Amino acid sequence: MQSMILQSALNHLLEAHQIDIRPLDGKTVYFSLQDLPIAVNFICTNDRIFVTTDATINADVDIKLKSNVFLKLIQGEDLTELLRQDKIMIHGDVKTAQLLVDLLQQVEFDFEEALSKFTGDIVAHQVGKIAKKFKSSDNSLASIKDKITNFLITPKRFH
Amino acid sequence: MENTTHFGFKDVATQDKQGMVRSVFDSVANKYDLMNDVLSFGAHRLWKHYTIATSNVKAGDKVLDIAGGTGDLARAFAMKVGDTGQVVLSDINAAMLGEGRKNLINRGVPGVAFVQLSGEQIPFSDNTFDCVSIAFGLRNVTDKDQCIGEMYRVLKPGGCLLILEFSKTDIALLEKFYDFYSFNVMPQLGKIIANDEESYQYLAESIRKHPDQETLKQMVLDAGFGTCEYHNLSGGIVALHKGIKV
Repeated sequence: MQSMILQSALNHLLEAHQIDIRPLDGKTVYFSLQDLPIAVNFICTNDRIFVTTDATINADVDIKLKSNVFLKLIQGEDLTELLRQDKIMIHGDVKTAQLLVDLLQQVEFDFEEALSKFTGDIVAHQVGKIAKKFKSSDNSLASIKDKITNFLITPKRFH
Repeated sequence: MENTTHFGFKDVATQDKQGMVRSVFDSVANKYDLMNDVLSFGAHRLWKHYTIATSNVKAGDKVLDIAGGTGDLARAFAMKVGDTGQVVLSDINAAMLGEGRKNLINRGVPGVAFVQLSGEQIPFSDNTFDCVSIAFGLRNVTDKDQCIGEMYRVLKPGGCLLILEFSKTDIALLEKFYDFYSFNVMPQLGKIIANDEESYQYLAESIRKHPDQETLKQMVLDAGFGTCEYHNLSGGIVALHKGIKV
């Protein structure tokens, strides 16, 4: 299921941003996030990307990294710099890895838009609003804790 | 017994199977959609929806749906490929293809071509389609390896094969219920709704004779596909095999 969702979202974004994936044609990239149960192959072929969990494929390059490093990468951080800091492990054709990173950096991730494909616009918008609230707070957990504490001490203020 | 194959639990002459399968579908064609809804409690719609979502088909693609029957997949594919793409709905059985044509016309789905063909001898050139699908059809094909080989041939490099078919569940309790349901309830429902108990007895038997998930995966790889993975649906009652011609 995860590969299907990832594949749909990724191809939707590539199409929406009219990103040319021909430089990666015929390449397979094994990609795993070490702190999450995500390990997939990106097969770039026929002008699209297939996402598969088939472990028997011979990939051109293996990329292993943590989720926070992945986020930095798609936000534009330099691959070479992350490699130098040992935050990302690459085995195989580094040029292919760089091409994939270049491609991902071209995509402007619109979380709400991607989510709406599966949940519909209203749910996606609500989830997006909640996510933005969390993001806008410097310390969301502390803020929630404070609010709960205040409520327990002086519940009338919340009426 | 070299030239025999199975038709449900029976062994029959290989050259006879196609005609026997044709009789089954001639008999059930006009009640096919209703029976699918009743027998699967509507789950076949979800299985097909998942198949479409997994297909990676996009605008402008060429899609061939084999054993496409009443046109559920073809209709969804037609929406995806749009005006610039093409969908071919095919079936070996004229009655089923007729039902498919009627359904798509009634629903106002334009641009779908209808071709009566055997999956064992697909009358299209090599490297023609971006996606080839077969839903609940492969188990009725006499020579499955030949059919998978033909689907491989007509797919473009990078094309995607989708096989949606009944399979084997490995959940013991579900298997017991499913066996009881298949051999006791399904034929009776077939008798009541479609006035045809035998065809639904064949359906239950043919499912048990169909290769399991791993065997079918190996058949797809043996045909030349660079990768094949399967997704179990409803606990493995149905599996979707997806092969890519790398």
